[in-house]
Formats: sequence, structure tokens, C-alpha cells
Amino acid sequence: MPGRPVAPGTEAIWDKIMQQEYDVVVIGAGFGGPVAAKKCAGAGLKTLLLERSENPGEKVVSGLTIPIYGFLFGPPFIRDGNPPIERPVDGIRNYVIYDVKDGDIETVELRIPRPLSPIFAFGYNAYCKPFCTWEAEQAVKAGAELRTCTTVTDFIKEDGFIKGVLTDSGEILRSKIVINSEGSQGILAVKAGVRGKYPPQAISLADTYDYDCPKEVIDRVFGHTLRFCWGFDELKIAPPLGHGNGLMSWPYRNSIHWMQDQCLAMGDGQVPNLKRLFDEYHENITTQLPWWRDEIAPSAKIRARMWEGFEIFVGLDDRLRNMPNYTDGMILVGDAAGLESTGLCDGVPTAWFSADIAADVAIEAIRAMDFSAKFLERYNRRIKAHTIIQWAIANKGRWNLRKAQESHDRKELRARINHQFGPGILTHAGTPLVKSLLDAIRKDPLVIMKWARMFPRYYYNWEHEYSSEDGLPVGKQKKRSSTIGWVLFDSLVILFSPINWVIAFLLEPLAGAINPLIKVFRPVVELGLGVSIRMEPLFSPVTRWMIDSVKQANPSTFSVSK
Amino acid sequence: MARTSERFPGVEWIGDTGIFIKIDEKRCTGCGNCLKVCLGGCFEIEKKLARIRSLDECMECASCWYVCGEEAIDFAWPPGGTGYRSDLG
Repeated sequence: MPGRPVAPGTEAIWDKIMQQEYDVVVIGAGFGGPVAAKKCAGAGLKTLLLERSENPGEKVVSGLTIPIYGFLFGPPFIRDGNPPIERPVDGIRNYVIYDVKDGDIETVELRIPRPLSPIFAFGYNAYCKPFCTWEAEQAVKAGAELRTCTTVTDFIKEDGFIKGVLTDSGEILRSKIVINSEGSQGILAVKAGVRGKYPPQAISLADTYDYDCPKEVIDRVFGHTLRFCWGFDELKIAPPLGHGNGLMSWPYRNSIHWMQDQCLAMGDGQVPNLKRLFDEYHENITTQLPWWRDEIAPSAKIRARMWEGFEIFVGLDDRLRNMPNYTDGMILVGDAAGLESTGLCDGVPTAWFSADIAADVAIEAIRAMDFSAKFLERYNRRIKAHTIIQWAIANKGRWNLRKAQESHDRKELRARINHQFGPGILTHAGTPLVKSLLDAIRKDPLVIMKWARMFPRYYYNWEHEYSSEDGLPVGKQKKRSSTIGWVLFDSLVILFSPINWVIAFLLEPLAGAINPLIKVFRPVVELGLGVSIRMEPLFSPVTRWMIDSVKQANPSTFSVSK
Repeated sequence: MARTSERFPGVEWIGDTGIFIKIDEKRCTGCGNCLKVCLGGCFEIEKKLARIRSLDECMECASCWYVCGEEAIDFAWPPGGTGYRSDLG
């Protein structure tokens, strides 16, 4: 081989050095990293995915509903796959607490009504470790190399370009480009001077509990609906002090995930004693909140407690939002790029979207053999043009909840909760969601067939506790097939696809009118939602039929050919 | 070997992390912010300065690093395969 040193005894060393050369090194196998690694490997690039823990996702902490837009508009392999989920979610019930002792509590609910729910979900709950492991497995199947137990300590820099990473074992792993999905703290990017450290006001510490609880209790009390609690500071029940903080509880399969979160510093820079406050609030909530005390506490048993900081409010500060998300030789994705959502306080869909874009840009950069910041700037442009990412990181609703708490105005508190986690969300989420929907149909009118299969497949998988990509689950279903229905549905989608394309093309520029329209018709929308929820008992036979049809179907009818 | 803690069930700490959080005594003012936000009780004040008590129950959240206005805390990830882990996050 030309240029190869041939000194006796050096071949093995040289081979080892050669093996350390990659096209792409991805740092972190959380939610975002595997998405980037899978796409790069699938494009034929030599891709290495690094994870500092022994298994992907086991250092990731979150109470977790992944909102539906992540699945609809995110990476196709997740939409069309069988990832492990804990429960489909149909919405949020908010408890606005004015006086817990007197039972002065109002509810604000945003929920997909039955019979649409629970098959048509608002999102899916998941544990981080199994979900991230599943994602990483898909990356490995696409050809990526996964190396766990490997902490990146620094970047390799040459002529100002990042050319790979240095690991804690002293290994040098060279690459043409690095995709950095190291998570919210962004320690590596801060130390390398690419980004700055976030102020403590922008960071929320999430104190998380996991409770064992029988499925039938969760089914009866929660169903498929999340429960969030909000209130004034002096109640010391929910939320703790801070901007829009509250108690959130997620029903999983046989467990309940419970989280209170609190900004590390208040607006004036004062750091509260979180260690003391969290214990006090946890005690108050679990002993005083009526539905928890009476319906959950008798059956629930703590089985885990952990915490993690997340950079929820960086998207609201122009300086922080505009910190670089790329540099010569590196692209940052997900939480590492400051993309935690201020709206629904989730980071997974934005991590998926940005990792997908980062992989596209990395592939383009390798084809052009140009890894300069100038070339990679297109990544930032695409992030800025991404309707849902921008909506998610710039949403002020949760931050503004604090004003209502400070003003101590009941009406305002209720209105702000409604705006952020109740039906009011439609007045600001309508446009980005409809725009993304039309955009996806315009790019591929047949995507409707994939969406239509995703909902029943996910529900089926939840019912049968199934998650894998290797073959279909067997033995539990009655193999009742509805092939004719699907053939008819697919034929219609294919037949109407040119019309759908034209409709999407024509309507997309008008999507901006959705939010104002919903604002104008908000009373009607809220009334409609309320009426449909009240009418649910009338539809219970239909709901039962839908659930049974999915549960007993042959799952191959929901699969999407790769 | 995995360690567990009665205070924090459902979590394991693997191997020897070494001291991956360091405090610069010259910069520390002893304000105690790191103690207030550390749910794992990793810090203590001695002679009016913060010092690491134990990293045995650290969950690597970096809150101490964020709240130190004096930049006295150096936070780095522990070596690969060591430190906090959970199946229930």
C-alpha cells in the first residue's frame, strides 16, 4: 500500500491506527445520537457512535411523553418501527390548585376524545434506556459501530478544525466530521469554547420518582391521560418556586413516573435550597393532593429516585439561542444545541429532527469534502427554518406561568395553564403542526399510509408488550385480518395522492392563518372538545370495537415495508 | 461492582469514578450554592470553603457547575462505564 510504513513489527499498530479513522463520530447514544448515526451509516459512511455508559440511555433521566409530532415528522425508522413504549397518551389533565386543604382545585383538560383515543395518541410514554437502546440497535443494523463505556474527554483539533475525539482511555478517534449529541450540559462544547455555559436561571433540575403501581389502578385512575399540578408558591405543594414549574405525573404500563422541577436560580440570581425544598414538596404532594393520597398512594411503592438538569429556557434568550450549533468540523444536535422545548418541556422530537438534519449535512459535507463552518452553516439555516423546532424552543407560555403565580391572580393562573397545557395550546401549536403536516404530504403524499399504520401498530405493540424489529409478534393475536380494508384505504390514498399533493401545495402557504383562526373560534373549539368528551360514554361500544380490532388484528397489516 | 443506596432506590453506581468534580479553593467563596442544589449531598463546607464530601451518590447532573458564580467548580464526565446508571430514567 503506497505510503504505508513497512518497518517490521509496525503493521499491526498501523492497522489499528487505520481502524481509528471514521467518516463520522457521533458523541452520545441518547435520543438524538443514534438517529444521526443510523442515517450516516445508511448512506455508506464509516460511522462510530460513542456512549459513556455501558448501555445507551441509562444516564438519561426524564419523565417522558414523546409528543406525537416527533413520531409523525421525525425519523422514518421510528415512525415505521416498533420501539418500546410504556403507554399511549391521549392528553393532559391539569389540576389548578388554589387551596389543597379545602379541596379548592379546578381542572383544565386537553384530551383526544374517545373513540379516537387511545389508538390515536397525543404522544407515547417511554423509559429512556430501552428506547435509546432500541434506537442504537437500529443504528448498528444500518452499519454504525457502537462503542459504549467510552467517555469523550476532548476534541482533536488541527488548523482550527475539529478532526475527531480523544477518549478517557487515551484513544484518538479521528473523523472527517463530529456530530455532538452529548446532552444538555454540553460540557465538551463549553470546554472547547464553541458554546458558553448556561446561566442557572435557564436550567431546571428535575427531581424524578418512579413508582411501582398495578396496571389496573393506573388504567382506572389515569387511563391514558397525564396529570399535571400547578399552584401558588405558599401552598408548597405544586409547583416549587420558579418559572412555570410544576408537578407532572406520567402513567406508564405498571408504574407511574413523577417529576417536580425547579429552576436552579430565580430571576434575581438567588439559588434556592433545592435539597430541602424537593423533600418538603414531595412529602406535601404525596400526602395532601387528594387524588394521589386517596387513589394512588395506597397502591404505589417507590422503586426509583433520580434527577437531571435540563436546559429548558435557553430558547427564550436571544444570546443563548444564537450560540453556535456548528463549528469547523462539528455539528451539535438536540439538547447539546440548546433545543430543549420550552413549550411542552420535552427534548426528544427536537433531538430527532436536528439529528436527522445534522446527518444530511454531514453526508453533504463528506461528498463535498468541505467541513468548514461556512459549509456547515446550512445546518443552522435548516434548524431555523424548521417550523416545529422553532415553535418548541421559543414558546414563552411556561415561563409566563410565573407571572400568574407572582400576581396571585386565580383567573390568570388558570388562563395561562389553559394556554400552555390545555386547549389554548391549539392557538399557538395549530400553525406549526398543520404546516408540518402539509409539508410532509407535499414531499410524499403516500406518507398518509405510514401514519395510518403507525397509530394501530404502536397501540398493538403496547397491548402485547412488543418491541423489536426482528419478525412480528406471534401467538397472542387471533389473526383476524382486515386486509381488504387496508387495500381499500391504500388504493384511495394512492388514487388521491396527486390531489392531496395539490391541496398541500396550495394550503401550505396559508397555514399561517390557522393560529389566528383558532383564536377567533376558540370558544367554539373548546366547546366542541368539551362536548365530545362528555359524549364519550355514547361511543363506548365503538371505542371497544376499535381497541379490540387493533388488539386482535394480524400485526402484519400494520407493518410498513422498509 | 455496582453500589446502591437506600436513599436513592432504582439507581446503581458502577466502578470507580475517581474525583471527577474538582473545586478550586482559590476561587471558592464558600457561598454554599453547590450544597443547596446537590440532592446527592456531595458537598460540605469546611473552613468556610466548599469541598467534596463524597461522590458516591452523584447523579452527574452538573447543577453544582451551573450555580457556581465564581467558576470554582470544574465538572468533567466520569470515566467510561463508571458512575450513575438506571433502567428507570
